[in-house]
Order: sequence, then C-alpha cells, then structure tokens
Amino acid sequence: MKAYTKKSHVRESANDKIFGFVISLILILFAVITAIPLISEAAVSLSSKTASQMNQINLLPVGFTFDSWKYLFMKGKIWTPFLISVSSTVLGVAIALLLNVLMAYPLSKTEFRPSKYIMLFVVFTMVFAAPKVPYFLTLRSYGLYNNYWVLILPHIMTAYNLIIVRTFFKQFPRELEEAAMIDGCGKFRILLQIVLPASKAVLATVGLFYGVTMWNQYEHPMMFIQNMNLFPLQMKIRTIVDGGGELQAVTMAQTANYTSATLSAAAVVFAILPVLVAYPWIQKYFAKGAMLGSVKG
Amino acid sequence: MGKTKMKRTEAGSGNLKEHFKRNWPYYVMMLPGIIYLVMFKYIPMLGSVIAFKDYSAYKGIWDSAWCGLTNFKKLFTYPDFYKILRNTVVLGLLKTVLTFPVPVILALMLNELRNAKVKKGIQTIICIPYFVSWVVVGGLVFDIFGIGGLFNNVREFLGMSPLLVMQKESWFRPIYVLSTIWKESGWGTVVYLAAISGMDPSLYESASIDGASRFQKMKFITFPLLVPTVLTLLLLNIGSFLTLGFDQVYNLYTPMTYSVADIFDTYVFRVGIQQAQYSFATAVGLFQSVVGLFMVVTFNKIANKVSEDGGLW
Repeated sequence: MKAYTKKSHVRESANDKIFGFVISLILILFAVITAIPLISEAAVSLSSKTASQMNQINLLPVGFTFDSWKYLFMKGKIWTPFLISVSSTVLGVAIALLLNVLMAYPLSKTEFRPSKYIMLFVVFTMVFAAPKVPYFLTLRSYGLYNNYWVLILPHIMTAYNLIIVRTFFKQFPRELEEAAMIDGCGKFRILLQIVLPASKAVLATVGLFYGVTMWNQYEHPMMFIQNMNLFPLQMKIRTIVDGGGELQAVTMAQTANYTSATLSAAAVVFAILPVLVAYPWIQKYFAKGAMLGSVKG
Repeated sequence: MGKTKMKRTEAGSGNLKEHFKRNWPYYVMMLPGIIYLVMFKYIPMLGSVIAFKDYSAYKGIWDSAWCGLTNFKKLFTYPDFYKILRNTVVLGLLKTVLTFPVPVILALMLNELRNAKVKKGIQTIICIPYFVSWVVVGGLVFDIFGIGGLFNNVREFLGMSPLLVMQKESWFRPIYVLSTIWKESGWGTVVYLAAISGMDPSLYESASIDGASRFQKMKFITFPLLVPTVLTLLLLNIGSFLTLGFDQVYNLYTPMTYSVADIFDTYVFRVGIQQAQYSFATAVGLFQSVVGLFMVVTFNKIANKVSEDGGLW
C-alpha cells in the first residue's frame, strides 16, 4: 500500500491525467446518482401539501415545513414499532453472539474430532433451505405465530456467520490457550477470559451482520405477524407507504399541511436514519467481515 | 459410519471415557447451537414430506395421509409453475449479466483514484443503500417513479405525459435491475477493493519503471489479478440463482406486474401461506430447494476447480 502511494510522486503523463480525470468524473456521477433518491425523498418529506399536490418537488423542499414529521412522530403510531425493532435487534444480537461464540469455539479445534462432522451438519443448512411452507408450519407449531420472539429466534444463527467466528478462533495463537491450560484453566474459562477479550473486532463484525439482518427483516414478520401491535418498524413503514389505515383519513383533513406522499416520504427517511447513525461503526467493521467468510480457513 | 467415527475418536484421546472427561465442556458449549439447528433448520426440512401428503391442519404434518406424487403432477401441468420458473430464471440471468459487472468496474476505477478523501467519500455514499431494507428501497422506488415523483417530473419537463411505471409489465425488469445495482453494487465494490488492496505493490512499481500508463496497469495487472475473485463470486452467485430473495420482489411488484415479477419466493408466500395451499406450495418450494442444492454444489465444485480455495467449502 505504501509503495503504491509513493508512485504518485512520479510525474504522470498527460494521458494518465485525462484517464484519472475521466474516472473521477464517472465515479462522482455514480455517487451523485446513488444519493439522489435519498435527497429527493428527504425533500418531499419536508415540503408542504400544496407543493406535493402540484408535483413541484424535485431535490429541494418546496414550502418548507416539518408538519409531516410532526404528524409522524405525534400521531403516526411509529414509536411502538420502533421500540419493537430496537429491542428485538439488541436482544437478538446479544443472543446470537452468545450462541455463535459457544458453537464456534469447539468447532475451531481440529484436535476435537467430532468438530469435523458437526461442521458438515452446519454447512448443509447453507446449501439446502427448508421450503417455506413446512418452515412456516413448524415454527407455528412452536407457538411463534404472532409472537414477538419470531423477530429474534429465526435469525440467531447462520452458517455463514458461524464460520466467520470459527475462522477467527482458528487463527488465535495456541500458545496463549496452552499456557492458560497449564495454569489449570478449564475450557470455559479459557474461552471467556483469554479468547473472548481478544475477539472484540470479530464480535463487532458478526454482531453487525446479525443486527442489520434483524433490523431490516421483512419476510418473517410478513409470514408470522398479523397482530398490528407487534409490527416491527419495517412492517409499519410499508403500511404507511401503502397509504393504509388512518393515514387515508388524514389526507382528507383540509387544514393539515401534508399529504400521504409527504408522510410516506417522512416514514421512509425515518427508517433510514438509524442506519445513518450507526453508519460510521458499520463501515469500520463490515469491510473486515467481507474478507473473513471462508469455510476452509 | 457411526462405528468408524467412534474408533477414530478413541484413537485421538485414549478411550471414549477419557475423551468425554477431557472434552465435555466442548459438548456443553455446542449443545444449544445443535438444538437450535435441529429445531429451526432440520425439522422444517423434514417437514417437506407434506409435499407428498394431503396436508390436513387437523392432523398436522406427521399424521396427514400420503398422496404420492399428486402434488408434483399438478405442479408440472400447472401453467403458473412455468411462469414463475421463467420469471425466476430471467430475473436471475438479468441480475448476473447486468448487475454483476458493476461493482467490478467500480472497484477498478476507485482503485485508480489518487485523492484519498474523494475515494473514501464516494465509497461511503455508494455503500449506504446496502444497509437499508427493501421496504425502504421499495418506498423510494414507488415515490420516485410515481406521479409527482422525480421521474415523472423530468418527463413532464421534457414534454412527455406521465407514466405509471410501477403498474407497467414492461418496466418491472429494468426497475428490478436498477434497484439491485443501486442497493448492492456499493457493497460489492468494497469487497473487490479489499481484494485489490491485498495485491503485491512491487508489480506496479516495475510496471511504472517500464513506462506503463495507468490504464495499462489497470488492464494488465489489477484486472487479471482480480479475475479469480470475480470468477469465484460469479460462480457462487449463479449457484444461488433460484433464491432471489422475497423482500426485493415483494416490495417492488404490484398485481399489475405479477405476470413478469412473480418468483418462487413470492408465489409460495401468496399461494402457500396466505391462501393456505400447504401441500402444493411445499411441492413448489421443494422443487426450488432441490434444484438449488444441485446448482450450489455443482457451481461450488467448478469454483474450486477454477481457483484454489475458490469454493465455499
């Protein structure tokens, strides 16, 4: 990497300069196009009823107002779904990490012979997915229909993430563990006091993988949750975008300074905000995870 | 099978008793995970037997009466089946051909950017969509392509009449491809950039000394070195072809576009779970899973041949 940047001291030819310029242009254009839908949606959410009805909004708010946001926050019934999503994600990540660490540690020990067979048992779940219907019927028979826990339990272990943790444990220096063993540490204590404190980075990465999945999940609540009181945020957003229920009545109200379009835009932007807040952290750990997933390792 | 397993274990640690005495904590650690996988992955798999049964809610999965291949016969004579098979294959192909190369090209270009701040900034922006849900992407797409959205405002500006894009069959596939590029290419780019940053810098130095231009270095060094990674990901992508994902299509289609948009995942959800045709939809799902299994295994094998360590296992 270092040597590579040094190269820039070498004088570039005119052709190279043009090449660099064209590439920058294309990339900046791509980034701008990526950002436009987000900017436009934010603009709509901050615009007035008239501007929305007259189709005047493009990239900047027209008739700037917070009324859509106010309605969303005060009467949009968004906070219960929000809390359901936050709590299930936090709880889910904690359970997932516990389960994955406990499972991955023995699997990382090649001298523990059964690990090879258990690995096959894990990898098979990656290549053969149960068809949706028996999956649905089985989980329903566990009592997970219209149950808060259906937001958590189906997502707490995937082969892919388990393998990332295992790969990391495999690279952990043996000597440290052996030294602890000689000192009379049991296997649980070695995992807890020696290995885990050194595994923060991989736990952050995998925790984020699970967290993003849980936060964004839609298919499971769609299948299992009919009770509106148990809707996670994504389900609520979808009903607002569809303009369903109480929002229809709202647009009828003459005095209100919002339309179903501006409300829907506010809801969509609201759902993106937590992602943006967590984004610096996400960026730090996700790229690491991108390089970790290999069954072999 | 079981016997040889025992023997080897014994050979590894004296005898069985000794093995358990030494390793019981490992078994305890794995127990919750194994129970979990059995309950949430394997028992549902076994539940696939209802594809061969006439499922009755009263009797449940295990006690319903067998009906042989009736559901599969119905499946293969059902026009809808070929429609969703075609849709799945077409969308999968479009995804592979049109969206797969985008992150490769973006990564090659980003790697050429000298200004670290600009590079980081672009990476940051193009990655954001990967972390938002398909519900949000669907909301954005419907708003932008709806009446009063950016797309129709531009059309109006150009003197064209407004278009209900999301209700048009002919527009579904382009929307599908574009939304995939928008949401996923940024993340793909980061993965390829990570691979590029691991390349040997001395290659570039010697090329510079030989007077290679930047474009030549990209074409003759970076790209060839990136090919194994690209090929591997491509093969793995093709392997998981049939699982396009429920969320994306479900949040982008409308009843007006079902004919071109309906894929296995959405069809099974509507027919199997919402309309409760359990046995028939399981047959459809089982077809998908079994074909999917063969494809993943086959393409994993090819990936292993193409590059060492290429496959998932």
